[in-house]
Amino acid sequence: MGPLPRSLELFYDVLSPYSWLSFEVLCRYQNIWNIKLQLRPSLIAGIMKDSGNKPPALLPRKAQYLRQDIKLLRQHFQIPIQFPKDFISVILEKGSMSAMRFLTALSLEHPEMLEKVSRELWMRVWSRVRAGLWESSGRTLGDFLTLPRPPSRAIILPSPDEDITEPQSILAAAEKAGMTIEQAQGILEKISTPKVRNQLKETTEAACRYGAFGLPITVAHVDGQTHMLFGSDRMELLAYLLGEKWMGPVPPAMNARL
Amino acid sequence: MGPLPRSLELFYDVLSPYSWLSFEVLCRYQNIWNIKLQLRPSLIAGIMKDSGNKPPALLPRKAQYLRQDIKLLRQHFQIPIQFPKDFISVILEKGSMSAMRFLTALSLEHPEMLEKVSRELWMRVWSRAAEKAGMTIEQAQGILEKISTPKVRNQLKETTEAACRYGAFGLPITVAHVDGQTHMLFGSDRMELLAYLLGEKWMGPVPPAMNARL
Repeated sequence: MGPLPRSLELFYDVLSPYSWLSFEVLCRYQNIWNIKLQLRPSLIAGIMKDSGNKPPALLPRKAQYLRQDIKLLRQHFQIPIQFPKDFISVILEKGSMSAMRFLTALSLEHPEMLEKVSRELWMRVWSRVRAGLWESSGRTLGDFLTLPRPPSRAIILPSPDEDITEPQSILAAAEKAGMTIEQAQGILEKISTPKVRNQLKETTEAACRYGAFGLPITVAHVDGQTHMLFGSDRMELLAYLLGEKWMGPVPPAMNARL
Repeated sequence: MGPLPRSLELFYDVLSPYSWLSFEVLCRYQNIWNIKLQLRPSLIAGIMKDSGNKPPALLPRKAQYLRQDIKLLRQHFQIPIQFPKDFISVILEKGSMSAMRFLTALSLEHPEMLEKVSRELWMRVWSRAAEKAGMTIEQAQGILEKISTPKVRNQLKETTEAACRYGAFGLPITVAHVDGQTHMLFGSDRMELLAYLLGEKWMGPVPPAMNARL
């Protein structure tokens, strides 16, 4: 029997683009490294409030940088991420409370669906590509950068960025992820219960206790020590701490698995 | 004859710990990748003012994170970087005007010394392992006399403004000129992305060829 897998906790919010990048990299490496990845849906608004921080996008030069950075990382990470047209409205006004409560309820009732539904919610806010097609392509960008748009079955959604605040929107995301209508509605009914609201609050507070001032944070438990790493750009350092090999954001074994 | 080296500009301030990390990584790779590294001493205080940003260390939880991050990156990057005891005093009160003017004067008069002296200044602020940079007393005196001339003050101002025009809200920034495009990358954690943009191989912050050269 080999050594025990190292526990990694990823605290994330679907409003956070860099959370999506961390999420995909860790999902790719969870079958390569000796790790156990635990997804922790959190509320970035709560972390900002608790830490006294502000969303970087509120500073004009940071907002400008974010757009460029995401454009480049899209290529490098092979994740179809794009800034929504009405970015300020989506991120700063509408928020993610219902979506993150839904994911919290899922984590309690159907944790095996948490990865797929999280991905589908990110896709709604941060992408124009359908998750199903992206998954079947091996979750790289290749097909979507080169294929022409067929007239009948558009790979790129013609409509603008999708909502995640309305119940119907969340149900649509859950169904696209493979849940049945009954399962999805069952979860939706629970999102305003004290149990779910408290769990989301506790997870967000746990992130704060680890020292979070934003998201994503990856917490690695290694040889009796706990390391909190902020951002999607500490993955190589994470590999170093785990004693694992870093093969970039698109590791070869990911492609080989398909 | 091979392809022309790609021009990289590193805008930095010795007050900035992450600038030291970027600096060392790019110095290591300048003899591995097909690049021409141009060091651009800048004033981080000027960039903060111009962009409306604030030093991250002013937010308690970020200050706490910075300390831990630097501790880990010290190992990973193999750079003897440590938070100074009197961090707030050093960084936020004393500032770096003289040091950056000194480096600006060097960039005009003795550019070949810029790398070593920059490193020496970082060592003084951010390490307990200061080494001598090999500059003669006369050279140092000569440079010191020049740091408050209009020429030097203006050059530092212009370099800082150039960083702002590239979109800087902090330091370090690495500006890569590749195939007619200009990319500005913030932080010491975009080096792998830089390699990707240059079409070069990323071998981590401590590339093997660096060891081979010694």
